This record gives sequence, C-alpha cells and structure tokens, in this order.
Amino acid sequence: MNLFEPFTIPYMQRALLEVLVLGALAGAVGVLVVLRRLAFVGDALTHTVFPGLVIAHLLGRSLLAGALAFGVLTAVLLTFLGSHRRVGDDAALAILLTSLFSLGVVLISRTRGFTADLTVFLFGRVLAIDRTDLAQTLAVAGMAAIILTLAHKELVLRAFDPEATAAMGYRTRVLDLVLNLLIALVVVAAVEAVGTVLVIALIVVPAAAARLLTDRVAAMTALACLLGAAGGWLGLAVSYEVSVDHDLRLAAGATIVVVLVAMFLLAAAVAPLRRRWAR
Amino acid sequence: MTLLDAFADGFARRALLEAVMVGGLCGAVGVHVLLRRLPFFTMALGHATFPGVVVAALVGISLFAGAAAFGAVVVVVVALLGARDRVDDTSAVGVTLSGAFALGVLLLSAQAGFSRDLTAYLVGSIVTVRPADLVTTALVAAAVLATLAALHKELVLGAFDRGGLAALGYPVLALDVVMLLLIEATVVSSIPAVGTILAVALIVAPAATARLWTERLRATMALAAALGATSGVVGVAISLQWRAAGATIVLVAAALFAVSLVVAPRHGLLARAT
Repeated sequence: MNLFEPFTIPYMQRALLEVLVLGALAGAVGVLVVLRRLAFVGDALTHTVFPGLVIAHLLGRSLLAGALAFGVLTAVLLTFLGSHRRVGDDAALAILLTSLFSLGVVLISRTRGFTADLTVFLFGRVLAIDRTDLAQTLAVAGMAAIILTLAHKELVLRAFDPEATAAMGYRTRVLDLVLNLLIALVVVAAVEAVGTVLVIALIVVPAAAARLLTDRVAAMTALACLLGAAGGWLGLAVSYEVSVDHDLRLAAGATIVVVLVAMFLLAAAVAPLRRRWAR
Repeated sequence: MTLLDAFADGFARRALLEAVMVGGLCGAVGVHVLLRRLPFFTMALGHATFPGVVVAALVGISLFAGAAAFGAVVVVVVALLGARDRVDDTSAVGVTLSGAFALGVLLLSAQAGFSRDLTAYLVGSIVTVRPADLVTTALVAAAVLATLAALHKELVLGAFDRGGLAALGYPVLALDVVMLLLIEATVVSSIPAVGTILAVALIVAPAATARLWTERLRATMALAAALGATSGVVGVAISLQWRAAGATIVLVAAALFAVSLVVAPRHGLLARAT
C-alpha cells in the first residue's frame, strides 16, 4: 500500500491536512478528557452543536458560527448543570444531549432532503472540504491550541488533585469551564468536516491508547497526538487504496475510526508486556 | 386538530399503541439505569446496535435479531475492557461506541445507495411502525417487565449494595448481566419508535423526572412508566402535524423533566431555594 501516492490529488491533500491537524489537537485534549473520565461530555458536545448547525443552515449564516454558539452554550450549561443531588451528572447530560439533538432533528425535518443533511452531519464529508472549510478549521484549532498551552499545567493538576488546585487559589469551576470549552472548540473545528462520530473517536480513542502505553502525562499527550494524526493518515490511505484499487467503497471517516480502534486494541495487547518488562 | 380525530387513522393508532408500550417500558427500566449510573452505557448500546441493524438489513434477517446480537457483543466487550485496570469504564464505553458505530457506517458505505433508510434507524419512524413491530414490542415489554418484577428485590439490592448481595449468596455477576441484557432488550425494542440515538432519552428522562417527585422506588417506577407513555402519546399527537415523531417525543419528555426540575416539591429548584 502506498502512503504518499494518494495525496498528490488536491482534495486528498486538503483531507490529509485536516485530519493531521484535528488528530493532533483532539489527541492532546483527549488526554485530559480520558484522565478526567469525561468521554460522555465529549459525546454530548458532538450532539449538542447539531441544532446550531441546523439553525445557521436555515438562516443562511455561517455553519461555523452556529456550531460555535451552541458549543459554547453547552459547555457553559454542562459546567453548571449536574450539581443537583437527585438528578446526577450523567442523567442531566443524557437529557441535555438528546433534547438539543432532537431540537435539531425537528427543525431540519421541516426542510426538504433532510436525510442527506443528517447523514453528512453524522458521518462527515472529509473528502469534500474546500479551502474555506480548511481555513476555518485551522483558525478554531489554533485558538484551542493556544488555550490548551496556556492552561495545560492547571488542567492536569485539576485532573489529579482537585483539593490542591482549590487550595492553591485556582477556581476549579473556571478550570472545568475551560476544559469543556476546549472540547467544544475541537468539536466545532471538526464537526462540519468529519462528522460527530469521528470527532468523539478522535478525542477518546488515541488518548485511551496512549494511557495504556505510558504513565507520564507529557509522554501520553505526545503519543496521543501522534496516534491521532497517524490514524487519520493511515485511514485516508486505506480508504483511498481500497476504494480505488479494489472497487470496494469505504467511507473515509469511518475507516479512520476503525484504524484508530485497531491501534487501541494493539496498545491493549502490548500494554501487559510493557509492564512486565518495566518490573 | 382534535386529539381523537387524529387517531382515527390506522397508522396513527399503531403509532399511539407503540408509543404507549415503548414509553412505559423505557420509563420502568430507566429507574434501574439511573440507580446504576448507566446512562452513558445505554447511549453507547444505542449506537452500537447500528452495525447489527446494517448487517441484518444486508443479509435480510430481522432487524431486531441483528441489533440484539450486536448489542450482546457490546455488553461483553465493555465488560471485558472495563475490567482492565488501566482502561476506566467511561473510556471503554467511548471506544466501543465509536468503534461499533464506525463499523456500521463502513459496512453501509461498502454498499451502493449509501444513506438509504439510514435516518429511520437513527432517529426513529414511529408512524411507519408495522403490526409485526407492535407484536415484538409487546412481547419484549412483557418479558422485561415480568423479569423486573420477579427479580425486583435482588436487582435493587445489587444497585445499592453489591457487597451485601454477594454476602447473601446471590450470583452478583449473573444479576449484572441480566440487568444489562434487560436494558439492551429495551433499547432494541424502542428503535422503531425513537431510533438508536434517541432511545437513551426515553429511558433516562422519565426516570429522572419521576425521581424528582417521589423517593419510594416502586412509586418512582410506576410514575416513570406513566411519564414515558405520556411523552409518547403527546409526542405522537404533536408530530402528526410535523415529521420528526421520535425527536418530538424526546422533546416532550425533556420538557416534562425541565418543568419538574423547577416545580417539584422538596427536590425542585423552587422548593430548594426557599
């Protein structure tokens, strides 16, 4: 299989750049998500930006702006909701997630041809992104990268020792909001190009694999970035190869996810060996 | 629109019947889902049945059978992954969810006519529910509710005090698997009504609403079942004017929750503020 030849085509180049940037960014944010056990929050955010996309689409405004507005709104709601004793975090999350998603479905079902729109939203169209999409993704991803760099030390501390974080004078609520906003930015940067299912996979899977292979946060972050980007590259190459040479069409986004999950399973297989060796 | 006129049509009557059965079943099971903190798992189960549905559609067997078979696989995978000390439950569920869903998309994309019939599984299509679906739902609901009633004491004890359950000599793991399979059966049987993505809403929202109103468990389950059925009926009635019935049912269930969160006695926000 050729890892470079498919990427002489312009649309494949754009797709590659998109998944490399998103894979690395989602990997870095994903480590924090996995350490804090926030996979459900990530999943929720991928669904709650949907009504934003639909409303922007209906109004003829920028989809990115719509997604951003709802992403930020949900990040704020999620931070302050779920402190209710009898409801619980995960129940509140499930209700918020499904009701906002339903709102999007109800709104979009009023328009014609909504089946196609819904499918694109869920599974993305990574091979059909244009220069504008790419520029938008890069802008949002850059913003997320800056926030992540600035707040990384505090976010890691918050993940391991909330009491110490509070004692040192940081506001844990604010740090929680920052992390939720970061997840929202990754989702917004990615959702239009690659679909919700791929976004949650990019966030959770490389980070979970990296956590199996190392105990140090810095190494974990580097590894997760690497795995995310490599999975994107390999997935695109496999999808192209199989579709063009073997006449079996494989959706690009889904192929990337399956490659990432294969990497995770490989990591799960070698992790026990590593620990035996380290002992 | 008067409510009774709307239900004079055959398809509307079938949709109504399906909504009542699915809503009631989901509500009752949902109380256990909340007690065991399994909403994310339930969500994953919904997504993960997707490849089963795709395979069943391709091979030409019952969609229920395909979804149920894949759901059972996912129950095992999540249990195995979560048992490893370095993969926490949430990450195990996240990996399984996205992997299984992508597998379904991959299988589907390998076929011609990519998005064919996809949305019906994802967001439900209760107005096109067939008599055969009604029979399946009725059988599943009867079986699940009978099991819940028969094992009520053991399942509740297992949710609150696993150590106590083991000390009393009950098979804890077997009871856990029974509970997960009951949830799976509920998710699968609600796919025609609300779809794989939104099934979790009909399971979680009525139960969470009921917990705001009462503290006794049997009352919570009865109330949750009633709220689920009500959400179904009202959602179907509203959506006969619109198109997205499954999503409307979910919005009704969420609205009931939002109102209860504010006005419920003792646990509502108003009551707690004073």
